[in-house]
Order: sequence, then structure tokens, then C-alpha cells
Amino acid sequence: MTRFTRAGVFALATTLALAVVGPATAQERVKLINVVELSGAGATAGTQWRNGIDLAVADINARGGILGRQIDIVHYDTQTNPGNTRAAVQRAIDEGTYSVLGPVFSGPIGASMQIAQRAEIAQIVGGEAAGLTRQGNQFLFRTSLSQAAAMPKLATYLKETVKANRIAIVWVNNDFGKGGRDAMLPELQQRGIQVALDVSTEQGQADFTADAIRIRNANVDAVFVYLNEDESARFLLAARQQNVGKPMIGETTLLGARVIQLAGEAANGARGHVGLSIDAPVPAFQDFGRRYQARFGIASDHNGLKGYMAVHMIKWATERMGRFDRKGVADTLRGATITPQMEPGILITTRIEANGDLDRESFLAEVEGGRQVIRSTLPMIRP
Amino acid sequence: MTEVVAPSPPPSPPVARAASGLSRRLDGVLLTLIAGAVLLWFLPVGMGRYGTYVLTLWLVTSIAVMGLNLTLGIAGLKSLAQAAFMGIGAYTTAILGTKFGVDWYSCFLLSGLLSFAVGLLLGFPALRVKAHYLAFVTLAFATLVWLVFRNEQWLTGGTFGIANIARPTLFGIRTDGALAFHRFVVVVTLVLALALWWLIRSPWGRAFLALRENPIRAASLGVDIRAYTLLAFAIGSAYGGFAGALYSPLVEFIDPSPFALSASFMLLLMVVAGGSGYQLGPFVGALVAVALPEWLRFTGGLYLIVFGVVVLLLLIACPQGILGLAERGWNALRARLGAGAAEPSR
Repeated sequence: MTRFTRAGVFALATTLALAVVGPATAQERVKLINVVELSGAGATAGTQWRNGIDLAVADINARGGILGRQIDIVHYDTQTNPGNTRAAVQRAIDEGTYSVLGPVFSGPIGASMQIAQRAEIAQIVGGEAAGLTRQGNQFLFRTSLSQAAAMPKLATYLKETVKANRIAIVWVNNDFGKGGRDAMLPELQQRGIQVALDVSTEQGQADFTADAIRIRNANVDAVFVYLNEDESARFLLAARQQNVGKPMIGETTLLGARVIQLAGEAANGARGHVGLSIDAPVPAFQDFGRRYQARFGIASDHNGLKGYMAVHMIKWATERMGRFDRKGVADTLRGATITPQMEPGILITTRIEANGDLDRESFLAEVEGGRQVIRSTLPMIRP
Repeated sequence: MTEVVAPSPPPSPPVARAASGLSRRLDGVLLTLIAGAVLLWFLPVGMGRYGTYVLTLWLVTSIAVMGLNLTLGIAGLKSLAQAAFMGIGAYTTAILGTKFGVDWYSCFLLSGLLSFAVGLLLGFPALRVKAHYLAFVTLAFATLVWLVFRNEQWLTGGTFGIANIARPTLFGIRTDGALAFHRFVVVVTLVLALALWWLIRSPWGRAFLALRENPIRAASLGVDIRAYTLLAFAIGSAYGGFAGALYSPLVEFIDPSPFALSASFMLLLMVVAGGSGYQLGPFVGALVAVALPEWLRFTGGLYLIVFGVVVLLLLIACPQGILGLAERGWNALRARLGAGAAEPSR
């Protein structure tokens, strides 16, 4: 009985000690909340983004955290619905997130960006639609080039390298695909390239046979493909089956590892501009790609890289300030240039414009023998 | 619980007893609505912006479900287009407000009127087709409306949507804050719920019920089937439009995704889960669909699976909805206590 009582007293004392130590331990942690598309139409992109974040958090925590504090990461699903996104971002802010990570789709970003702005908290997003950074929001930051930055490079490539004068555009009718098409059209017009066929497709579309036949029958020099990764693979397969036989030109979503994995041999010959790719001739990208594959069992696309960089942008800004300051993160990021020497997790030199856009080197690539081969490196727009 | 009508068994009690029972139930609905509004006025205090937002979203969704409950639960017309009407209201408010500077109150009324008019037009096929065929007609309509939202970018902003939708001002008081807007929505919801409460207990409401239970018998008693079918569609659609007019300033951004066909199915689920035909059913159903997934977030990545299982079990356990189950339990309790055992449950 006496021994039991002693044990009880010891347990009570330990509990009390932990209760006292608990708050101190909690102070040594920093909470980050990721609000992203884990179900609904954006689930593929959102899952990659989440995985990239999880890998970044694991890396940072293994190296001692941010200014000695370990990161607690929480993921909230938006169901790819603007109303739910808004609720989730509000919840993230109410729960004291240090910065908001996500979402990836531009619509849900548009629905939630005002909340982070009002709370004066940095929001690091995966969206690429040009309009997001034209609204004067000082707290919104991209993790990739905007479509407005990428499309001139692609249009020049079509004109000068592919020598195309008449092209077909195949695009997915969501904010990503429509945004890319709308940004591309004036660039093509400026360079005297005629759009002979404009093919709108649906998100999640399974059969591209009819689209491929239309393109085969059109008198075009090349096809500009601007679809999400899974749809890109399906389109390439349909184009191969229908013997389209035209150069397939696209962006990161046409040349990524996932497309090659799904389309197999049909992906060979696809080429174009790549912003973030684990196959790019950047050792840090390739190392990230290997570790991502090892941890999650799938190849990372550009969204995985974006999620990884997003957390490191916050880490860099905080360490640069030398303190945890929510508003300060946005102030520090705006106008900054982060190099891999300053922060290895940023992977590639990145300049953050005053409006939240990014500038980076990018690549021209081609799929050859089931691998993405980088043909040349394009410099930053304003080196 | 205090309900106005339930789907089964078919009502055929003597008129006097029915009137007495009905008025007792209706008073209960009225008291519940008023007490609920008072509670919801104060509930968000200290709740944080997130909790307040979810409560407001619940109320806005409840308005759309109230409309569908009238169309489906009370008049018995199967519609899969309620989210489309919500979209018509939301886009009307957003376009008029952001592009033409029209004040929210006018936008609200015009949203309801436009939805009413479109609902009236959609009601015409309802005169010719029944049950599943009617559902297919409304399904096609919902898809068509969604395509207009997505493809007519010059008007609706297409996939980029419309941002910066302003919240209304009431007597010079701005409702930009989460709590102020919530209270505004509480008042609007109460007004709309009271209007429906009045409608259902009016001769119109009884005509709607007759339409659902036995249209031929109703016609033989002088009920204009054609007019009431159209009205049921139109009024239910107008409630969808009113909900949309509140949804726009709540989220301050709209794009086509919340008004897709899947959203119409969710609204239908809310009618059934709450209790089809019960006037308080929409609030219960919307609570299940809006708040339950948020509460289940503690289960992490499994939360939607858990939600699906809960809804599945719920519908197996109580096909007449939560209020149907509650009423059954209440009647069983009364029978056991020997009180009111003679009165049939409705």
C-alpha cells in the first residue's frame, strides 16, 4: 500500500512537472497550417503540395527547426470549394498559424486571400493565374512563375525553335488552363502565330480521342497542350493512338515525371518550357526528387517542389528577421532575393517581386526515351 | 420536436382535429424559429471568426434547403437544380453589385425575382413529366446553368470568378465584420423562415400538400394543379436565389464550383437528412452537411470518409430524416406514457 502510494505520489509529481514544463515546450514550437485541395477537382495537385510541405517540415525539424523551434504542421482540406477554403483559412488564422500555406487552385485563393490580408499574415500559395498578384495584396506570395511570365518564353520557343506559324491549343477549362490560354493568345498574336484550332477540354476528362482526331485533321504545325498532369498523359496517349504526328509543346504540366509515368512511350517527343522540375539540371531539384520518391512512393511534380519551397520561404524570412513576427514575414519576403547559399531549401535562386510574383531561371526540355532532358536554361527575366 | 408536416402516413384526420393539431405544431415551429434566432444572435460571441463563419454558412445554406424543402418535401416535385438557383442569385448579386454598383438590398430582391421567374419557366416541364423524369429535366437545367457560369466569362468572370463582393450596410452600420454579418444573416433567415411558415399554414401550403399527396384528388377539389406546381417551383427557386444573394457577400468571392451539380445533390441530401417536409428539417439537414464535416476535421485525412459513413448510417437508421426519427421517438414516448396515444403521428 505504501509502495503504491509512493508510486501514486511520484506519478502525480511527474504529471505536475510535465504540466509546468508543457507550456514552455509549446513555446518552443511554431504552428503552420496548410489549407489545400485534398479532395475534389484539385486533389492531385493539392496532395503533391502537401507532400512537399511534409518533406520540408521533416527536413527543417531534423535540422533543429526555425530559430530553434520545431514546426507543427496541420493540413486542412478545402474540398476545392471557395466557401470551404475561406472557412479553413479563417480557422487557420483563428488557431494562430504563423503563416498560411496554400491553396493551389486560383479560385480558392481568390476566395481566401482577403482574410490573410486583413489579418496581415503572409499567405504562400501555389496558384499560377496572372490575376492573383494584380490586386495589390501585400501578403500574397507565389511559389512558381506566373503564367504571365512563362507564356512569353513559350511563344518565343514556338516561333524560333519549333518554327510554328499555325498551331492548335488544347487547354483544360479551369482557372489554370483558361488562365494559361488567355495569357498565351496575345503572345502568339505578337509573334504572328495563328491559332487554327482552339480545343477546350474538361477537368478530369478521360477520353481525348475526339480532340486528337480534330487536331490530326487540322492543318497545324504544332500543338500547344495546357492541361493538368493526368489529362496531359491521357491526351498524349490519344494523340499517339490517332497518329496526330505534330510536335507537342507545353509547360511543366506536359513534361513532368507524372505525365511520363502515366503516358509511357507516348510522352516521348513532348517538349517545351519547364519552371520547376525534378529532372532539371539542378542537383538540389534532383536530390529533392529522389527523397520525395523514397518517402511517398510517387514522383514529385512541380506542386511538390512548390510546397517544399513555400515552407523554406517562411523559414528564411524568420531567420533573416531573427525573431517570430507574422507581419514581418511578408515584409521580409517582399522584394527579397533568396539564394541556395542563404537557404538551401529554396533549391534555386528566387527573387520575390514587390507584388508577390517570382522570378527564377527556367528550362527548355524534351521528353526522350522516357526521361525529361533539359535542352537549355533560360535566364531570369530580370537577372 | 415541433414540426409542421411529415411525409407519412398520408394525412386524413377529421378537419377539426387536424386544425387543432396543426396549429399546436405550427406554434411550436414559430417559437422554435424565434428562440433559435435569439440564440444564434448571441451564440458567436467569443466563438472566433471561423466558428461565426461556419454558423453563417449554415444559415445561408439552410435558406436554399428551405426552398428545396418546399419544392420537394412539401409539394413533392423532385428537383436537382437548387444549387443552380443559388448560383443565379449569387451571380446576380455579384454582377450587379461589383459591375453596376447596385446596393445589396436591390440585388437581393432582384436575385429572388430572377430565380422566381426562371423557376416558373422550369416549372412548365414539371407539368408534363413526373418523378425521375422531372429530376432529369432539372438535372439538365442545372448543368446548363453551370456551363453558362463557367463559359460566359464576359459576364460571370468564368473560372476566375468575381472577387471583392461588398457586404451590405444596414441603417448606416456596415456588416463587414464576421459577427455583424452573421447577425444580419440571422435576421434575413428569420424573415424568410417566417414567410415560409406563414405560406405553409395558408391555403397555399395546404394546396402544395395536396399536390404531393394526391394530385387527382386535389384537382377534383378545385386546386389548380398547374398554377400550384409552377408556384411551388418558383417559390422554392426564389429561396435558392435569396440564399445565393447572401452567399456572395459571405464569401466575398464566387466562381462556378459551389453551384455545380454535386452541390444540388448535397442540398437534396440536406432535405432528406433533416426530414423531408418538416419545416425545421432544412436547418437540421444543413447542420449535418455544413457543420459536421468541420467538426470531423479532428479525424484528419479521414474526415470525408467518416462523414460519408455517418450520413449512410443516418439514412439507414432514419429514412425519414433526423426529425422523422425524433418524431417517432416522441410519439413512442407519449404512447408509453399514455398521453396522446390516440393521435396519429404526422
